[in-house]
Amino acid sequence: MAAKDSPLKQFEIDPISNIELGGYNISFTNSSFAMLITVLVITLFLTLTVNTRSIIPSRMQLISELMYNFIAQLLSDTVGDNGKKYFPFVFSLFMFVLIGNMVGMIPYQFTFTSHIIVTFALAAVVFIGVTILGFINHGIKFFTFFYIPGVPFYMHPLLIPIEVISYLSRPISLSVRLFANMLAGHTLLKVFAGFVVSMPFFTGVFPLAFIVALTGLEILIAFLQAYVFAILTCLYINDAYHLH
Amino acid sequence: MPQLNPEFFVSQLFWLAVFFTFLFVFLWRVSLPRIATVLEKRQNKIDENLSLAKELQEKAKEIEKKINDQINKAKLESDEKIKKTINALQEDISSQLSSLDKDLEKKVSDAEREILKSKDHQMKNINNEISSITKLTIGKIADIELSDNEFNNVIETYKGSFN
Repeated sequence: MAAKDSPLKQFEIDPISNIELGGYNISFTNSSFAMLITVLVITLFLTLTVNTRSIIPSRMQLISELMYNFIAQLLSDTVGDNGKKYFPFVFSLFMFVLIGNMVGMIPYQFTFTSHIIVTFALAAVVFIGVTILGFINHGIKFFTFFYIPGVPFYMHPLLIPIEVISYLSRPISLSVRLFANMLAGHTLLKVFAGFVVSMPFFTGVFPLAFIVALTGLEILIAFLQAYVFAILTCLYINDAYHLH
Repeated sequence: MPQLNPEFFVSQLFWLAVFFTFLFVFLWRVSLPRIATVLEKRQNKIDENLSLAKELQEKAKEIEKKINDQINKAKLESDEKIKKTINALQEDISSQLSSLDKDLEKKVSDAEREILKSKDHQMKNINNEISSITKLTIGKIADIELSDNEFNNVIETYKGSFN
């Protein structure tokens, strides 16, 4: 893994400034820097474009409103009226993942969503939050979530463990989906970029053309994964309200 | 794979928590309410304009109805006036015609009377002329000088026998 031109080298974390707090290493790294850029881009864009608060929006304001309506629609479609409370959270999650992925598409820029620890932390927040929400809404009855009605009784010993495992694997599937997509995409780009350099003159054009096409696909995936993350969060919130 | 190297796990989690919390709080408290206000303002404006348009439409309909009513009323009034005028004119014409007829009749009868009178007068003259001519002729032929009275007596005597 330590090879100089390994396609995985781009995921290595380099500390920019070493910070230690209570014996823990909390260095500000290139990953943290990417997060900072992401947060700045989102907050500045959403603040400055809506600054005039004009009724007839400028093009940039329209983009902000479009994003707002996109997530608001998503949440109302999946959760309904109950979902309004969680709009800021789902919107932040979507924007954070989306812009994080997009920032990662800039050459030489770090992609923090390609780190399992980051995506898992986000997914864990969603999972724990939704589970707490389920208990708040339904109390002990929340466990009936694992009980599927209308199934022959002798199937329950089999189905209940499956339901429990599927529920518990939610944060893993949610985080691994995003992490693996980002990892695979960026690795592939790097591999083909290596071909461009290593191939003899002229023939390097072909992998270069492939990279161009793949970059388009990666941008699509960047959006798609953010969307999937948001919509699954919405569905989990819905589950916490409506057990089966 | 660098992702599985736990060296920077704590750092990653720490900065993720810091930045994501900041982002969440900022969007929740600042950005999203702003966008929501704009959207709400726009919706209100649209609703306002729609209701205003509806109101104006209703008003226009009312005015149209009023105009139509007035047009119909005016038509009825004018029809009646035309009828009245025609009737009055007809009456006037017939009365004038009858008075003209009367005038004419009177004039005709007057003229007839005048004619009769003048006829009588002429007849008398003719008679006189005839009698004087006859008197002269008799005087010339028979050399008899008749007085008027005698002559008239003769004529009166033989008047009916020549017819």
